[in-house]
Amino acid sequence: MPIVLAPTNKVLRIVRIAADEKTKKHLENLGITLNGDITILSSSGGTVVCKIKDGRIALDRNLSTHIFVA
Amino acid sequence: MKRFALAGNPNCGKTTLFNSLTGSTAHVGNWPGVTVDKRDGVYKKCAEPVQIIDLPGIYSLSPYTPEEVIARNYVLDEKPDCVINIVDATNLERNLYLTTQILEMDVPVVVALNMMDAVKKAGDSINAKLLEERLGVPVVEISALKETGLKELMDKAYNESKKTRVGSTVLEASPLAHLIGDVKIALKGQNVANPLFHAIKLVEEDEIEVNMHKETLPMVEEFKKTFNDEIFGSDFEALVADARYKYISSNFASVLSKKSKDTTKMTKSDKADKVLTHKYWGIPIFLVILFGIFHLTFGEDLLFLGKIFSLPSLEDLGLLNEDGDPINFGVRFLATFYDGAIMSPGVWINNVWNDLIVGEIFGWLGGLVEESGISPWAVGLINNGIFDGISAVLSFLPPILVLFLFFSILEDSGYMARIAFILDRMFRRFGLSGRAFMPMIMGFGCSVPAMINTRTLADDKERTATVRVIPFFSCGAKLPILTAVAGAIVAFFGVGNADVITFAMYLLGIVTAIVCVLLMRSTTLKGETPPFIMELPTYHVPQFKNLMAHLWDKTKHFVKKAFTIILASTIVIWALTHFSFNWTFLEDEQVNESILAGISQLVQPIFTPLGFGSQLGEFGWVFVVAVVAGLIAKENVIATFATLAACLMAVAGLNFGELAIDAEDGIDAVQAMIQATGIKVPGLIAFIAFNMTTIPCFAAVATAKAELNNKSTYHWTLVFWLASSYVVAAMIYTIGSWWWTLFIWAAVCACVVCAIIFKDKLFAKRK
Repeated sequence: MPIVLAPTNKVLRIVRIAADEKTKKHLENLGITLNGDITILSSSGGTVVCKIKDGRIALDRNLSTHIFVA
Repeated sequence: MKRFALAGNPNCGKTTLFNSLTGSTAHVGNWPGVTVDKRDGVYKKCAEPVQIIDLPGIYSLSPYTPEEVIARNYVLDEKPDCVINIVDATNLERNLYLTTQILEMDVPVVVALNMMDAVKKAGDSINAKLLEERLGVPVVEISALKETGLKELMDKAYNESKKTRVGSTVLEASPLAHLIGDVKIALKGQNVANPLFHAIKLVEEDEIEVNMHKETLPMVEEFKKTFNDEIFGSDFEALVADARYKYISSNFASVLSKKSKDTTKMTKSDKADKVLTHKYWGIPIFLVILFGIFHLTFGEDLLFLGKIFSLPSLEDLGLLNEDGDPINFGVRFLATFYDGAIMSPGVWINNVWNDLIVGEIFGWLGGLVEESGISPWAVGLINNGIFDGISAVLSFLPPILVLFLFFSILEDSGYMARIAFILDRMFRRFGLSGRAFMPMIMGFGCSVPAMINTRTLADDKERTATVRVIPFFSCGAKLPILTAVAGAIVAFFGVGNADVITFAMYLLGIVTAIVCVLLMRSTTLKGETPPFIMELPTYHVPQFKNLMAHLWDKTKHFVKKAFTIILASTIVIWALTHFSFNWTFLEDEQVNESILAGISQLVQPIFTPLGFGSQLGEFGWVFVVAVVAGLIAKENVIATFATLAACLMAVAGLNFGELAIDAEDGIDAVQAMIQATGIKVPGLIAFIAFNMTTIPCFAAVATAKAELNNKSTYHWTLVFWLASSYVVAAMIYTIGSWWWTLFIWAAVCACVVCAIIFKDKLFAKRK
């Protein structure tokens, strides 16, 4: 499911990142990698704040509907 | 001299370390992307002086935004003697991702574990010795803020810089090792420096790398065909990223022992974010904070206590004599912060500065000059030309600094990054990402750093649009125009309220910016809005030292400008108003025969639709002069007013009646202008609006030229500024003077919108 619908405060695993090359690469540099862990801290109206490693990263609605977790 | 480069993730404390090492006061803020250009300083406590280079923050050596390219190119091409990799210990794994890439280059590296104090405070610990063993390069624990461990760090770095180091990679254990090894050998054969690094980037299909090694590419492709992974398929960059992170978490992350095993526990920052970035409350809270800042800076009735409790004025208390002046010095001091209402801190500081300090000093200096017995024209030049101009500019230092202090607090606490986040949804509608908010809010301080900061934006068209509207976010130098003209409107016409007019003009700038962005993004600068990805830094209490450094920098800049470019301009303007075309000296009363008046009267008609052109009669040209002087530096507008007001006051037949005019005071100078020209309120508001939205100062124009790095975009930007200011000012003047013109403007706007939509549809059809 896309992270915009995912439960909060639970460690999830990323299975698919449907974004263009440039964005995907940037996400990877920030730690949002395929097969990596992600915790959703808050999700409001499509925008999502998530915890990756020990950092907090904010994503807009378009991106949060294109990152899928299992 | 040896050169050490500071590299690390955004917001990990590079600039703080840089400042501590070199004793500089470079700007530090608590959000990612403050440093967007490299800068250097010297560290003197090693065996020999060492040049320290502070680089923009990067998440990896595959750049995403223009400022990241600067950092990558520096490390690769300029070959520093040592790279000091700063690692934020509170986010170890993510920071080490960059470290693994830096280690792949053939350069000596020292890892500085920063923010160790925060790690210890949370009860966690890091085994630096173990990390050093596993990384194979020295690791030093430091706190850049508290300046601990710096000496040890620099000594180690100095030691390392004498050695040579060959790159190593953590990917040796991954299935890609074989492929990387082959590419490396091929590149080595071509005598490429840093072969390991380039080999890995080529395997990752890094854009810059692929363009650099076109001839090697087919070979890499050939190698790659033999390779397939079940999860990643042929997505090599994802594979490399995954391999790096896997290696980091299994080998390096174990050096960190956490006090609490619960990974889902909320930190204080997370709890604050629940409120401050709330879906519905986020924006209202932001607006309240913004209003609070303006109230504390400009409000003449703190918390509206005066109105609520109807406090007595000084006159009611019998503390004023019959001339309306305070009866003694104590009352004069009381008057700076109380008169029927308690004044906000900003106004109080302003009054103390202007009434007690600047006023007294310049009054005293003026007296000295008059009594010195030098010729009258020299007295005129010094007192009316130089002193009036400079003191009018200096009198606006307090509000600029107070406003700037509040913005620094917001920035240093980490709240700015959240504002960008909550505004992203709104910005998206205008075709910008929330990231563009940062340079825009910086524009309230000064357009120059704001334009440079647009480098944090990933998309070129978004960058151009942002650079163009940044001047509409009224900068510190435009604030004097606002306060002086607004103050004069209230004092002369007795309408409105000064802080409401000021606030409204700021809003007008923002609205103009939004409309222009919308227009550009739907016509000439069409394109998809880039995604919003932003790291939210941990909140912390603003650092006093940091805030003072910001304020000191700002003050220095402002004072330096007042005594150089503005001083020079006031002298030129004074000279041009006191000489006629055949170079004979003119008295103040003959100002209308001066060179400046002659030239200005020629162009004056152009400004007629804006309310400060031909309709103003014989002295109307003064506004034109002010506008033109403003193109050099916006502080000049008020300095020019002060210089010209001194002349106008001397003109025979001009009667200021009850007004006690003092040309040294910006507000009074504007009142003199109003009296002399008979300009009306709409004309004055249009004048502010024109200055706010027109071509900014020399410095900002030069910056825009450098940042846009495309001649035609730059030329169109100048045209854009002229057109937008002309239209906005004309709209304000005509609607303000004749309300029914509102319908004409509305009709014109509707036509423009229709034309754009129609064109879009036509275009879509053709496609």
